[in-house]
Amino acid sequence: MSGLSTAAQEAIDAIEAGPQGPEVGAFFDLDGTLVAGYTAATFYGDRLKGRDVSPAEFLRTVVTAVDGELGGDPTRIAHVAFSAMRGQSEEAFADLGERLFRSKIAGTIRRESRALVMAHQRAGHTVAVASAATKYQIAPVARDLGVEHLVCTQLVVEDGQFTGATDGPMLWGRHKASGVRAFAREHGIDLAESYAYGNGYEDVAFLSSVGHPTALNPHRDLRAAAARLGWPVLDLSDPVGGSLVAAGRTAAALAGMNAGVGLGLAYGLARGDLREGRNAAIRLATQLPMTLAGVSLEVLNQERLWTHRPAIFVANHQSALDIPVLGRLLERDFTIVAKKEARWDPRAVVGSFVIDPAWIDRSDSESARATLDGVVDRIRSGTSLMIFPEGTRSATPVLGPFRKGAFHLAAQAGVPVVPIVLRNTGELMRRSSLVLNPGVVDVCVLEPETDWSVDDMSERIAALRTKFEETLARWPA
Amino acid sequence: MSDSSPVDDDLQRWGGAGTWSTGAELTSMQTLLWRAERHPVQSSTSTVVIDLDRAPDWDRFVAAAEWGTRLVRRLRQRVVEPVVPTAAPTWADDPTFDLAYHLRRERVADREEMLEHAAQIALRPFDRTRPLWEGVLFEGMPDGAAYVLKIHHALADPLGTVQLLTMLQSGRRAHTPRKPVAEDVVAPSEPDPVELAVAGLRTDVAALPEAALAAARRVGAAAARPQAVVASTLRYGASVRRLLTQAAPPSPELSPRTGRMWSFLTLDAPLDALREVARLGGGTLDDAAVALVLGALQRYHARHDVTVAEIPVGVRVSLDRADDLGNRFAGAIISAPLSIDDPVDRVAAVRGEVLSLHTERALEVLDAAAPVINRMPSFVGASALRTAAAPDAFVLTLPGPPRRRYMAGAEVQGIYVLGPLPGAALTVCLVTCGDTACIGVNVDASAVADLRGLEECLAEGVEEMVAAGEVRGP
Repeated sequence: MSGLSTAAQEAIDAIEAGPQGPEVGAFFDLDGTLVAGYTAATFYGDRLKGRDVSPAEFLRTVVTAVDGELGGDPTRIAHVAFSAMRGQSEEAFADLGERLFRSKIAGTIRRESRALVMAHQRAGHTVAVASAATKYQIAPVARDLGVEHLVCTQLVVEDGQFTGATDGPMLWGRHKASGVRAFAREHGIDLAESYAYGNGYEDVAFLSSVGHPTALNPHRDLRAAAARLGWPVLDLSDPVGGSLVAAGRTAAALAGMNAGVGLGLAYGLARGDLREGRNAAIRLATQLPMTLAGVSLEVLNQERLWTHRPAIFVANHQSALDIPVLGRLLERDFTIVAKKEARWDPRAVVGSFVIDPAWIDRSDSESARATLDGVVDRIRSGTSLMIFPEGTRSATPVLGPFRKGAFHLAAQAGVPVVPIVLRNTGELMRRSSLVLNPGVVDVCVLEPETDWSVDDMSERIAALRTKFEETLARWPA
Repeated sequence: MSDSSPVDDDLQRWGGAGTWSTGAELTSMQTLLWRAERHPVQSSTSTVVIDLDRAPDWDRFVAAAEWGTRLVRRLRQRVVEPVVPTAAPTWADDPTFDLAYHLRRERVADREEMLEHAAQIALRPFDRTRPLWEGVLFEGMPDGAAYVLKIHHALADPLGTVQLLTMLQSGRRAHTPRKPVAEDVVAPSEPDPVELAVAGLRTDVAALPEAALAAARRVGAAAARPQAVVASTLRYGASVRRLLTQAAPPSPELSPRTGRMWSFLTLDAPLDALREVARLGGGTLDDAAVALVLGALQRYHARHDVTVAEIPVGVRVSLDRADDLGNRFAGAIISAPLSIDDPVDRVAAVRGEVLSLHTERALEVLDAAAPVINRMPSFVGASALRTAAAPDAFVLTLPGPPRRRYMAGAEVQGIYVLGPLPGAALTVCLVTCGDTACIGVNVDASAVADLRGLEECLAEGVEEMVAAGEVRGP
């Protein structure tokens, strides 16, 4: 399964069937369209938490917001926010944007919106984010989506500080539309063939400037207008948020994991076979909690998990959920290489005792090498190794660069590499979240690759990474 | 010719004209405009100027009018008001109808003089106890003649007026014998104003238990889910507020408006070029018409060294569909850009503004309120219409005859509609007439200091649109 709704898949099919090339534009609104919710609210929430907001400003913001809802000028609230930014350093604000992206906003990017963006990119279209937000909100999202162009509200910066004014109008309503038309003129884009996606009632003018408008998860009034104007409406699923029930199930899962480990070890001790005890513990410690949390697996090419053992299993990494998922997939006779800092992570401490990872101290390359030599011996004696070649969890499904360590080990130990693509663990358990949401994890095991050597290693790694990307972009049926 | 012959075509159309507008009562909207009328400041009178290639034979012209008024009954009817506004006014045959009161001819030296006369005719109020139209044939002009028809909104709105004229005109120059006439309906007895009021009241009283029940049901439903009702009421209110307050402020250059000095201008533009500009900007002919007027006003403001970013412009929005067709329309005001040099971009901007109105749930507010307002003394309706902020300009597009038409042997060369000025500095109507856009402009001469200048700017506005349509066109 592609993991996309029928409507989203049809929209993508239509993009693929339509005209291709850079003279076709694809304009995406940010808030409510690419991401669920409002990035500005995230920024404001952060300021509230930091007690940066005076009671007077807070009151003004609330009154302005309510007035905007009741037919007043809805852009005034933004100007209240902009003027509160006077004197702030642009650099610090851009850093804040990056930080909030990683901790909060990255997790709100809609998976199917991302798929739409990628479909336009594959068609060679000129893709742009068109939003009334500022570039500090948009740029990290755009970068993550591989979108180069921003059509957005510009803030005036003098001597590295905001003046509180905007350069030109706020790109809201008619101004966003004229911003898009100006962008089209500059870039030689044929608007009649172009696409636009928006969700707000103020987006009608923006949407009407292209030949293929789509109301995406539209606001009530835009939905009514779209029905009258005969525009397609696309309802995409939102990233799952942590519900109370999900939190409860996560707690049960953690307890289940620890219980599983204890039971497995007890079983091993009773049988007098530590290895079997460990394997039993892995089985129990992964199956029990995932069942409790309501997570199941849908695995393509499952047989490849068994044909090449011992092997080095490499997988992409988005979520703390990846480890129990892989544990359940590999089931027995494997271990992991983990950074030393993770040794005392409460979520991993019991499990790590069971699978006995090779702890690596990345700050000390001498000891790291010694550890890895030990690992090669363990592999040769039949224990497979699981490694995340990205080294760290990505905030979004976008792949990070692959490090070489895993592949050096494969070359040294003379074992194959088995690539495992995990599609949506990040959606079920966000990067920074402690809550696991119920759902189905899509897994695809790629063709195992043998005969690794140092000579062509870089090229083969790059090729493998491309395979990961392609699999993520077009999930095999 | 593969087309059906002009005669068949005519007969079919005339048959349709016989059934045109036969309802006995005024609709709520017509009633509102009828009762709230304060001519000429708050006027509902449209004037049509029809250019003819020659002066038609007067006797034949009168005979045609005689026939037309028999075919379209409404032209011989007057409005009868109930003594108190408990019911809608009713149409009733005017037993004293005299064609000579409504139709006459005058001699003028040239077209300019004819337009001056037409404006004067338009400014004079109707005798509200007679059928609500007046026609004058102007002769003596060096190139042809002109027929000026003044018609009240209660009888026909501008759209209906052009429709009616298009229906009544002939497809050929020669006389058509044995034209269809309306079946002789037995004229309904002259309604008595007191009877009308009593009947209205009686209907109201009869409907009272049902209305009370419906109201009680609504209150019950509202009580069951107060949050939803409050939310939806607030949203409706917000929409009304946006519609009333969020348009641009009026331009200082187009004031003071008295609405008491009308001046008529007419222009022609090739329809194909306008349609091409509309297509390039992703809009309709209506959007192109607004863009044309904006281009002219942008020049006018530039001439007087005034910079205004946006002005309020009144447009007509289809309530049914986006392509400006359909039967239900609402008037609304957009903030129209006065700072876009490129005509195509201007069309796109206008398009965006007009389509944005479709998110407003209160677009039909005046329609919805009309029946209630109509039960109140007429000054309530008059002030309701006044509070609807007046735009700087109204722009309206009307479909005219697709082919060449004749009136009593004279060829129609242009149909120009000069709409009323309810608070606006100018009202512009574009009528499609064959392959030409006939543009009629009614200007409040007290608001436009430099009338000649405006005329030149309008001509330049047309040229600019035509150039844009030709350069980028196929």
